[in-house]
Amino acid sequence: MGSDRIQKLKNQLFENKREVSLERALLYTESYKETEGIPTIIRRAKATAHILDNVEISIRAEELIVGNRTKKPRSGIISPEMDPYWIRDELDTMEGRPQDPFIISEEDKKIYKRVLYPYWAGRSLKDFINNKLTPEVREPSDLDIVKLNQTDKGQGHIIPNFEKLLDQGFGHIINDTLELSNKHPDNDFYQASTIILKASQSHILRYATLAKLSAEAELSKSRKAEYLEIARIATKISVDKPENFYEACQLLWYLCVILQYESNASSLSLGGFDKYMYPFYENDLKNGITKESLREILTCLWIKTNDVVLIRSSNSAKYFAGFPTGYTITLGGLTASGRSAVNPLSYLALDTYQDIRLPQPNLGVRINELIQPDFLRKTAETIRLGTGIPQIFNDEVIVPGFLNRDVSLEDARDYSVVGCVELSIPGKTYGLHDIALFNLLKIMEISLRENKDNKDITFDEIIQIIKGKIHKYVKLMVDGCNIVDTSHKEFAPVPLLSCFIDNCMQTGKDITSGGAKYNFSGVQGIGIANLSDSLYALKKIVYDEKRISLSGLIKALEDNFEGEEHEKLRTRLINKYDKFGNDIDEVDNLSSDILRYYSKTVEQHITPRGGTFVPGSYTVSAHIPLGKSVGATPDGRKSGDQLADGGLSPMVGRDILGPTAVLKSVSKLDNYLTTNGSLLNVKFSPKTLEGAEGINKLCDFLYAFMKLKIQHIQFNVVSASLLKSAQASPNDYKGLVIRVAGYSAFFIELSREIQDDIIMRTEHNL
Amino acid sequence: MKALILNIQRYSLHDGGGIRTIVFFKGCPLRCPWCSNPESISFEPEKVKMESKCIHCENCSFDVDECPTGAIKLFGKYMTVKEVVTEVQKDMVFYRTSNGGVTLSGGEVLAQGAFAVELLKELKNLGINTAIETSGQGNTQSLIEMAAYLDLILFDLKIMDATKSKLILGADINLIKTNIKMLVNMNKKVIPRIPLIPGYTISDDNIKEIITFVKSLNLTEIHLLPFHQYGSNKYKLLNLDYKLIDIAIPSSQSIEKIANEMRKNGLKVVIGGL
Repeated sequence: MGSDRIQKLKNQLFENKREVSLERALLYTESYKETEGIPTIIRRAKATAHILDNVEISIRAEELIVGNRTKKPRSGIISPEMDPYWIRDELDTMEGRPQDPFIISEEDKKIYKRVLYPYWAGRSLKDFINNKLTPEVREPSDLDIVKLNQTDKGQGHIIPNFEKLLDQGFGHIINDTLELSNKHPDNDFYQASTIILKASQSHILRYATLAKLSAEAELSKSRKAEYLEIARIATKISVDKPENFYEACQLLWYLCVILQYESNASSLSLGGFDKYMYPFYENDLKNGITKESLREILTCLWIKTNDVVLIRSSNSAKYFAGFPTGYTITLGGLTASGRSAVNPLSYLALDTYQDIRLPQPNLGVRINELIQPDFLRKTAETIRLGTGIPQIFNDEVIVPGFLNRDVSLEDARDYSVVGCVELSIPGKTYGLHDIALFNLLKIMEISLRENKDNKDITFDEIIQIIKGKIHKYVKLMVDGCNIVDTSHKEFAPVPLLSCFIDNCMQTGKDITSGGAKYNFSGVQGIGIANLSDSLYALKKIVYDEKRISLSGLIKALEDNFEGEEHEKLRTRLINKYDKFGNDIDEVDNLSSDILRYYSKTVEQHITPRGGTFVPGSYTVSAHIPLGKSVGATPDGRKSGDQLADGGLSPMVGRDILGPTAVLKSVSKLDNYLTTNGSLLNVKFSPKTLEGAEGINKLCDFLYAFMKLKIQHIQFNVVSASLLKSAQASPNDYKGLVIRVAGYSAFFIELSREIQDDIIMRTEHNL
Repeated sequence: MKALILNIQRYSLHDGGGIRTIVFFKGCPLRCPWCSNPESISFEPEKVKMESKCIHCENCSFDVDECPTGAIKLFGKYMTVKEVVTEVQKDMVFYRTSNGGVTLSGGEVLAQGAFAVELLKELKNLGINTAIETSGQGNTQSLIEMAAYLDLILFDLKIMDATKSKLILGADINLIKTNIKMLVNMNKKVIPRIPLIPGYTISDDNIKEIITFVKSLNLTEIHLLPFHQYGSNKYKLLNLDYKLIDIAIPSSQSIEKIANEMRKNGLKVVIGGL
């Protein structure tokens, strides 16, 4: 019964080319024009409510789980209130750009220029932030050391407390909020929450009405019944809590869509879905509902998570290529009392994923000493499909890491993943996980250039200078992050999202004002593999072997190794000195020392919400644009070439001893400190994993990964030759899903550069 | 004490179970014409130039350290037991989770027997699972000493006819037979490995003789290693004559036929190693 529907739903996703829809932006702006002068948080609630009341809703053919952000699947919605400028600048290039193109009609371009741009220019979040950034705070960005994020979109990268929604239902939550609002009439947050919760309720009821109308017009008897069921559920869960698995999945998805209107944000992630959904699933099975029908509902929900894509500026699309929308789910893990949390729904989540093989939901599996061996096997089997899903997270290092951040034991055991690989306590954290990137390799480049003519400088002094600059620029990065942080509070609070983050209700504060239980800001240290490779090669060639002076080496770097002698030098730098990823202590200790220094520096700083800054080490796809801003380096990398991918991965092609040596090198980093998350890519050839024996070997490898206390690993199991064929004839490989970095995407939707990068990442084949 | 080691290869999945590290000893008394590691034959370190990596510097000094590309390369390095142990210990965590360990291979490990005994003793002290891969052509006493510290012996059986074996390989099949029998009598886990080489080991008589001999030892498992051409380039590199350049790899049917013959005789057959 199910497979026909599933195939149709899948096909439906890709029938049209991606378009831009202005509807949300127009409604938001319309409301804003009428609410001048009232407090921002209430204005925001009213604007979102106006969208929820008026946006065109639809139910797609064959759907069981309904709720669409846009009428056509995979359309982009824009939020000019955040940044109207990039949209204006890119109206004419959006359709032809290499990464994530979108069609926008000529009519809509005119509307944008006539209505939206003039209203928001000068009063957007971007303007708000830019007015606050002093030249000093801008310096690290101008030097390409720091990239500040979240200056042009609303809040995401967070896991709402879905458990609360499912346990209480909208009616209960609204009553609580009303009560608080009456008790504290001056509290704008409670007022705003009430407005937006009620609007959410009526938005869901609009689906009930639409479904009833659709039922009346429907000829097929069975589909008519489905429409009526959709209507019944919408009516019920607009007030009451859900009582079965179907109702629970549907309520969860309604909230996901509604939150998208408030923020238009990346990564409103789903957290420990198998944990909080299991009671519904178990109860349904007890009540005689078949596993097959539950499986169909779950698969329908999975497909819906691919309906939402994000349009980013062309620059941002380079950093986050191929729509990492971030419907991330973390399976298994530990219960509050420290037992394995794997349950039958964890298995079903992997089974159903094997059926659809789409980029979302971005499934991850938590592994620990207590994981059921057959669940690990199923995980390995799913990895072998080659879509890069699920990615693996290691409880044995992440849980203690959170304890070191003053997270309670029970909360630490409940951690989940946001977006790509960012670590978070679901429903309790406002973590600004992607607030900034810090380019460690750029720091080295600047340090070397400044000391080009310093004849007496020792190697240890170079390291000290690098650390000094890390210290200085981390401080400035923090200042920048805190400006962005405060700007969100003042300009773009998110009352609805805050209703689903503990302890906003108790404290009466929006998350942007510090209402959450945990308040981190996450900043990523990038380029650690290139940095250690470079410093080690420099140490050997300049100080140990004395083949060239420091100034001579730096001159060669400035010349980008042009010329025959320089090329010979570059060849030596690449071939003759050990590199990160080969389990050589002398090299690995350099990366370990500097990443630890970066981490310990970062964690000294405080967010305006009272939490601490926390370090991470992952790049998403940023290793390509960040590489563009760094000149030639002593590891033999030429100016503008990409950095090592992932965050923890060795530089492409430099790990020559196989995956065990890679894991050993990475294990020498202090992976307890990077509590914002880190990322390691490993590519296996499909042949390595053939048969039952191949699965055993992958499981053994994962157990070793766990014991080595590395946070994260993900696999691409696709041969380089297949990817090359897909490059050559993209139309034949429309469905090919591949791991990019903490998320998977359709291979053919990635720009050529990123495709080449993925093909080049070493394929381990033994 | 030092041994001449060709290479230490990590993450090997096919020579003894689990995730393993292989220590390749350099130097071999045999001259199998199909040898896929010809750089492991000589008992001396060998300097070679790899044309594909060479960028043709003026005034090439043929000095390994001076060559910027690694095109000038030295096969073979003298290492102490401690140095080898340090290296192979690096993957300890993988041995533990996969029931893997260390396999000594070659060349011929028996040809540096005293070192191998010391190394194996040390590995056993550390609780590491141990295996060797041997042609069996070597000192029996040395093999007995090694066996005390071995969990698995992968024992090659190639050409069973005494005259041909002597003439083609330079092997003493009677010594080889004595050695494998001795290991079996010591109750060691022994798995015969048969390289399947067209024109050499693949013949009805030879296969039949192998089966009879293996059965007489009451062994139940056998590995078949089909001929491949992956080593052919290395002959050029070493200026060695390679007689099998035009020999096609055996078809999967012919391999299956041999495997079936063995299965019919009650042997468990693994094609391509563990």
